Amino acid sequence: MTGIRVALAGNPNVGKTTLFNALTGSRQHVGNWPGVTVEKKTGRINRSGHAIEVIDLPGTYSLTACSADEVVARDYILEERPDVVVQVVDATNLERNLYLTTQIAELGVPVVIALNMADAAEAGGCAIDRERLSALLAIPVVRTVGIRGEGLDDLLDAAVREAETPPHHEHTVGYRNDVEAMIASLVGVLEADKDLAERYPLRWLAARLLEGDENALAKVRESPVSPRVQALLSTIDPDECEAAMADRRYDVIAAVLPQVRTAGARGMNVSEMVDRVVTDRYLGIPIFLALMWGTFELTFAVAAPFVALIEAGLARLSAAVAGSIGPAWLASLVGDGIIGGVGSVLVFVPNIFILFLILSFLEDTGYLARAAFIMDRLMYAIGLPGKAFIPMLIGFGCNVPGIMAARTIEGERDRLITILVNPFISCSARLPVYILFAGAFFGAAAGVVVFLLYVLGIAAAIGSAKLFRHTILPGESSPFIMEMPPYRLPTAGTSLLHTWSRGVMYVRKAGTIILAGALVLWCLASFPFGVEYGSSASLAGALGHLLEPLVAPLGFDWKIAVALLFGFVAKEVVVGSLGVLYGAGEEGDALSTAFLADPGLSAATALALMVFVLLYTPCLATIATIRKETGSWKWAGFSVAYGLVLAWLLALIVGRIAPSFIGGA
Amino acid sequence: MGAVCPLALLAAGTEATIADVRAGKGMRLRLAGLGLCPDARVRVQCADRGSLIVSVGDARYALSRGIAMKILVKEAA
Ligand SMILES: Nc1nc2c(ncn2[C@@H]2O[C@H](COP(=O)(O)OP(=O)(O)O)[C@@H](O)[C@H]2O)c(=O)[nH]1
Repeated sequence: MTGIRVALAGNPNVGKTTLFNALTGSRQHVGNWPGVTVEKKTGRINRSGHAIEVIDLPGTYSLTACSADEVVARDYILEERPDVVVQVVDATNLERNLYLTTQIAELGVPVVIALNMADAAEAGGCAIDRERLSALLAIPVVRTVGIRGEGLDDLLDAAVREAETPPHHEHTVGYRNDVEAMIASLVGVLEADKDLAERYPLRWLAARLLEGDENALAKVRESPVSPRVQALLSTIDPDECEAAMADRRYDVIAAVLPQVRTAGARGMNVSEMVDRVVTDRYLGIPIFLALMWGTFELTFAVAAPFVALIEAGLARLSAAVAGSIGPAWLASLVGDGIIGGVGSVLVFVPNIFILFLILSFLEDTGYLARAAFIMDRLMYAIGLPGKAFIPMLIGFGCNVPGIMAARTIEGERDRLITILVNPFISCSARLPVYILFAGAFFGAAAGVVVFLLYVLGIAAAIGSAKLFRHTILPGESSPFIMEMPPYRLPTAGTSLLHTWSRGVMYVRKAGTIILAGALVLWCLASFPFGVEYGSSASLAGALGHLLEPLVAPLGFDWKIAVALLFGFVAKEVVVGSLGVLYGAGEEGDALSTAFLADPGLSAATALALMVFVLLYTPCLATIATIRKETGSWKWAGFSVAYGLVLAWLLALIVGRIAPSFIGGA
Repeated sequence: MGAVCPLALLAAGTEATIADVRAGKGMRLRLAGLGLCPDARVRVQCADRGSLIVSVGDARYALSRGIAMKILVKEAA
């Protein structure tokens, strides 16, 4: 069996992921490209005697070396030499997609075009003559419809055939005469360096040198032919060459298009009409707010029955455990520790999944890109690009995927700021804390209090972003360019898949970090042996007393100190810990009664506590994610420290001024 | 043929041809990948105080004012 490596390339949003999933099914491996936070996905297929490895390259518009994505894609093709590159092309947007084709072809690798979204193009009345296109480009063209899995066999056959046909004639764009002459002289010089000639396609290298590409210049700097290359390059203007070459590429494409495409009657574009409304200067923001409000309403309404179901299930499980496990300590470990701890996270799973489902739906329709446009001006005032609001939005569900979504932001500083302020966006794990305390102390006004907490979180994020922008991460926010994909009706499959992959991340967090945290918590509350679970005499109690002086100015006692400490694990654990410490279990009513009976807890203290929980140190999973996404403990540590200080200060202020509003402490 | 002016100043519904992109190399190459390079025909679909949505060929992009100021265009006759 021979092995063939197939690299999938293409513009963003052309259906590359869909095609990759359809090709490789569940046999995928997801990791990171070395050194950068760009996701690397590979999958294997066995097909008629060939072991095919499919590598999903990042989606890019071109193969210059301007962004991490482009460098990853380009270096992979150059250095790893896949046997064939399959470029996924959006049939409804040939012109721009073929620009990338011209660049890939220049790299001297066999190319196959997957003419994807063929259904959408045909529905628009646009017919593409694939044979003619293939003949003109000297590249096989296969029709595919990713969402229906059409054309996959033909695509694989074509890829295998290309990979196995030995030498390839060049099928690159011919540039203007003077440029071609320069390329020829450069190639002549470069040929003298056998090493270079072996590693890189020289025509490609020469063209990049003419463009003044830093990355290419670095490749020849060490070469013995470098002086002669420099001498040649000194006679030209790289900017002029670059413009001439880009121009020529589009000329070639413009010459090809009319020969292969019969455009359908172009009626009034639906996307354009919708855009005119949703991005309207006056209507845009109200529509956006209404959609977001609807999203959250729907999230909680639809999830409610599932949440109730999971709660009931957990309660039965606890009861069963308590009744059947022999030694009392083991029953307590399983019941209080594991089921209590992990269960407190599991009850949010329906909320998270439904929020992700709605957001995936909005993303797949193309609306989120418009929302980013609408938000751009607002975000600009904070010093962040419009795209930065998407991580924030996801942060309302859970900060972990929120922070991961910051990957799409190009500027490194913009990305860092977006990551660092994300923990202030009140994730759904904090909601139970608010519900418990606001419910117990504010009665009918509880809704308003919870709403204000969310607003405070947003304000803290905005304020911190401005602060970071002016202090540790100065600079302009990077300019905003974003493709507005045409509106599409998402298929259930794609949205569910997106939801699934994000949701699973959350569940995995519950399974690992929070389980570990819950076990530590249980040990602290149970040792030394013989003490009453979670009592003042336990290790947890001792820790609480140790921390009490630190939080005393805020009006918190040792029990709250312990609960906050355990809130590091996950913020919803605060509720569970208080349940344990007050000996009331997690039943909301019993705990509320216990709170009201505690003379140390006033409405003002409760408010200060909620503010503290909102802002203080992100949970373990979030810290781990910050560490992973920023690549350094420094930023994770900074986030912890900054959150603590901010929470302490604001809780102090709120605790002090609240009594004058809510009538006495 | 009209005079040359920044893309950011065009009103919604205007068509124009790009004359020049006055940006750094990286940005220029990136814009070229999107089809926003000299001689390309663009149409302003939506303009909101300098931020725009423009269409080029079959693609549509949102651009912030900062970039739209650097793209010089000739209004179509
Ligand atoms: N009509 C149609 N839609 C498709 C096709 N392939 C993918 N899509 C949709 O295009 C959108 C983007 O696809 P995705 O795979 O995420 O694109 P990527 O950004 O290139 O990975 C999704 O909503 C898909 O459902 C296709 O062949 N036809």
